[in-house]
Amino acid sequence: MDAALLGDGDLARRVVAAASAGAPDAEAELYRRLAPRVRLYGLRHLRDEQAAADLTQQVLLMTIERLRDGKLREPERLASFVLGMCRMVVLDLRRGTRRRARALEQFAEDVPRADVADPPRLDTERLTACLANLAERERSVLVLTFHSERSAAEVAQELGLTAENVRVIRHRALVRLRACMSGEEPAP
Amino acid sequence: MSAVVCAEPLDLPGLIAYWLDDLAPDEEERIEEHLLGCPVCSARMGDVVALGAGVRALADRGVVRAVVPSAFLQRLIDEGLRVREYRLAPGDRVECTITPSDDLVASRLTVDLRGARRVDLVKCDAEGREKDRLTDIPVSAAAREVVLLERVDRIRALPACVQRVRLVAPVAGSERLLGEYTFSHTPWAPGPPPAVH
Repeated sequence: MDAALLGDGDLARRVVAAASAGAPDAEAELYRRLAPRVRLYGLRHLRDEQAAADLTQQVLLMTIERLRDGKLREPERLASFVLGMCRMVVLDLRRGTRRRARALEQFAEDVPRADVADPPRLDTERLTACLANLAERERSVLVLTFHSERSAAEVAQELGLTAENVRVIRHRALVRLRACMSGEEPAP
Repeated sequence: MSAVVCAEPLDLPGLIAYWLDDLAPDEEERIEEHLLGCPVCSARMGDVVALGAGVRALADRGVVRAVVPSAFLQRLIDEGLRVREYRLAPGDRVECTITPSDDLVASRLTVDLRGARRVDLVKCDAEGREKDRLTDIPVSAAAREVVLLERVDRIRALPACVQRVRLVAPVAGSERLLGEYTFSHTPWAPGPPPAVH
């Protein structure tokens, strides 16, 4: 069966079954699927695009290496396994440890590369127009929230609102912004 | 290949709270495991992250008009953005422009907000005719000023003009004037080039 039609767990099983013989199609498909998800984890914890890219590379190489070695006993729990890898590599990156990266360099040449989709690109002109179309409070809350990545409580303190009020405004603003960006709501 | 679906999609408030580190640890772990295993929710999370990054980039480029707290303006300055600030008390008039090296323009309007349950910022022409209204701007009752980040692209496109800005508190079908501020704008005109020796 084409690797693209398999679920994540079945892909992992295929890599485990092939062991050291390798299953290039399944490995490449796993890499392609997991890369954007691991990148988000990296951005969330490291708040840096380059560091997130380093994390993605290391986590996926380690994951495939361990699948080949048969270290994942329950392939249907692949997400939990990858989460464990993510945590370990984040700790390494925070310590500035390059040891693991160096050890993986040789192995990396042996793993088939997949075309990983670029992160979504925004139409900035449309985003400018959609932002301008929000209510004043909605726009201010979004700017304060995302510019410095502030929690509802922090934004609330600066604006003299309650955290719950900020959450409501933030949610409404994002729903409207996404609708406007997707064309469900016309841009002004 | 059939469309991928998620049987238990994560809701938007949960995704935002996760992104902003605003969740209890066990809830954070549940969301992370779901995101790593779910193409639908991770794509949705990716959209939110991209929107957030877009909002930040536009704010840094000065193309978002927004009322912000004084502390936020200070953070922008601390980050190295070049902010042209105009500080006005009620009744003040200022000669203003924007230079090519300015990243942002901020109007800092001193005001006494005591007793105001809602505040609108009204832009008028030189004769006092209303041209634009920012309704129910977000300001803390304890704030001593209203800080408005203007869109630098719009300011750069303005001809020489006079603009009056009023802060008003709507009350029972009328409105109370909290302050009026006058901006006399002149487009940036570079000086003569330095002499060549």
